[in-house]
Amino acid sequence: MISSFARYERQRLARCRLLDELLRRQLPAGGGWSHRGAQFGTEPTALALLALHSASIALKDGIAPLIAHQGAEGLWAAVGDGDGINFWATALAVNTLSILGTNPATYIESIRALVRLRPVEGSWLVSLKFRFLDRHVQFDPRKYGWPWVPDTVSWVAPTAMTLIALERAKSRGIVGGSELQRRLRLGTEMLIDRACPGGGWNAGNAVVYGVPLRPHIDTTAAALAALRPRYGLPIVRHSLRCLLRNSACPSPYSLAWMILAADAYKDGGMDISPAINSARDHLTSLVEDPRTIEDTSTIALAALALGSEPINNPFEVEG
Amino acid sequence: MSAPASRRVFGAAVIPGTGALAVRLMLSTKSLRDRRKAGSRVAIIHQDSYGSRLDSRLVEGLRLFDLNLRGKTVLLKPNLVESIPGREVNTNPRLVGSAATAFLALGAKTVLVGEGPGHQRDTLLVLAETGLERELQERGIRFVDLNRDDLMKVALQTQFTGLEFLWLPRTVLASDFVVSMPKVKTHHWAGVTLSMKNLFGVVPGVVYGWPKNPLHWRGIDRSILDINAAVPPHFVIADGIVGMEGNGPLHGSPRNLGRIVLADDPVAADFVCMRLMGLNPLRVNYLAQAAEFLGNGTTDRIVQLGEPMLAPQEPFVVLPEFAHLRI
Repeated sequence: MISSFARYERQRLARCRLLDELLRRQLPAGGGWSHRGAQFGTEPTALALLALHSASIALKDGIAPLIAHQGAEGLWAAVGDGDGINFWATALAVNTLSILGTNPATYIESIRALVRLRPVEGSWLVSLKFRFLDRHVQFDPRKYGWPWVPDTVSWVAPTAMTLIALERAKSRGIVGGSELQRRLRLGTEMLIDRACPGGGWNAGNAVVYGVPLRPHIDTTAAALAALRPRYGLPIVRHSLRCLLRNSACPSPYSLAWMILAADAYKDGGMDISPAINSARDHLTSLVEDPRTIEDTSTIALAALALGSEPINNPFEVEG
Repeated sequence: MSAPASRRVFGAAVIPGTGALAVRLMLSTKSLRDRRKAGSRVAIIHQDSYGSRLDSRLVEGLRLFDLNLRGKTVLLKPNLVESIPGREVNTNPRLVGSAATAFLALGAKTVLVGEGPGHQRDTLLVLAETGLERELQERGIRFVDLNRDDLMKVALQTQFTGLEFLWLPRTVLASDFVVSMPKVKTHHWAGVTLSMKNLFGVVPGVVYGWPKNPLHWRGIDRSILDINAAVPPHFVIADGIVGMEGNGPLHGSPRNLGRIVLADDPVAADFVCMRLMGLNPLRVNYLAQAAEFLGNGTTDRIVQLGEPMLAPQEPFVVLPEFAHLRI
């Protein structure tokens, strides 16, 4: 039986090692972080900044690497010299800048672009196709969220992250209006529509050719974090129960996501502490030597998930 | 062919009846440079299980090709989707491990295994749940997550999708010898998934998303052609020991085929795999097109090594939409 103090100390030391590794991996000249090599990545940079911020570690260059890679209309590509737009990366960057207390003027255009964005099923022609002609994938195209990239359909992960970022911006009075409300409602309805029949979320399809798909831990976690204000819905509570069964997951990436999503429900009435404690113990073991973890996003997420309680949770919806 | 043309085709594709014609127009290969070899080699290896003789059988099979791998970096690209209990979804980890050991035995300087799953963002979870992580650890082989590798912008030499370029993983581009290792399966969108479709996994999710949806919207057939023209694999080891039929690539039924297919041409490999499945390769759009410029599909340009071709007694079960594939 590990004492509470011993457990706390193990987690604290593991987190210190993760944060040290993040600092070691910073690209030259304060150029942000890469997924696993030398190329700037928006996601690892945003997550690393959040992890370091949660530990009150100040960086000389601060948010500069993130701002430096902001493109037209305030949108971000996924990787450094990438010239494409990626809405997951954009939502993550906006959420990060908001949490870090950046002047909203730096990302208000990004928020407006996210609110304006329509996935392809937002067009009536494509919506009709999916409603009446192409029914191999069961979903309601009238309920749409956000795609990964332009000119494609909406998927769970970018929708969840965009909802989290927009809810935060709304709660801080940075953005408002009926169009924002409409997009928040549609995005939320989309997530609920795409839930797997047995609970949780796959990448975005729940039933294909009549077969229910299995939920993924990280996607389920992101969706649950975004749906925190909808805790009263049976599908949300059921999916949370499903998520909490994964505390022995062998991958630190999914496990960290699970802890962060579950943490957002700590005041929801369900006793989630045993699952979170077990998951944090397991995560501590999995990240014993962070140098062996290639993906920088995983290191940052694990550092966030092992934060001293109450966790400074960047994916908890404000409101 | 221009990007606007491609967008028009999408518009047509949502209106029933016009889509098929538009796709045919888009897939015209007459103006493309002929990259086909004078002759391709394929070997069919009989192997009933993933048991202990797999390593030696694979080395024997590869020796038939007299490959010059001395000092080269070999990248094995298996098909990893996700782990579903009771389903033969992924290239078997034992076969991947055996291939790694075999290439090292044949003189390769380094063997890497790389994959970028299309739906599951947590690549390491797929690796752990499929057993491939342990297999590679035991053999001392490194894995690269192609969804999160450093990337390079590669201009496309073909214009089937209308895309001018693709972002591709540096690990793939820097490898001397890329081996596509598909699971022999039916596929509910593409008809079949073999060595050419397997190359979807080199397209990075970090840029294109999970799933790699821009490729779906540009057309799976067209995307397969562009990707394979941009990074043609040098060799194929297809896992047909136990394949999948019916509602592939995730929820079909296991099908004991008892074969490994080796080839130095992915088009030839996929033609032979389809014939082993009792399906007609010329009825798969991208294969018929690929056989006109990328690789060989006709029997007079395929030298068969190893065992003779034997069609299965019963063709692979396909979804009703793909009934036309059956011979």
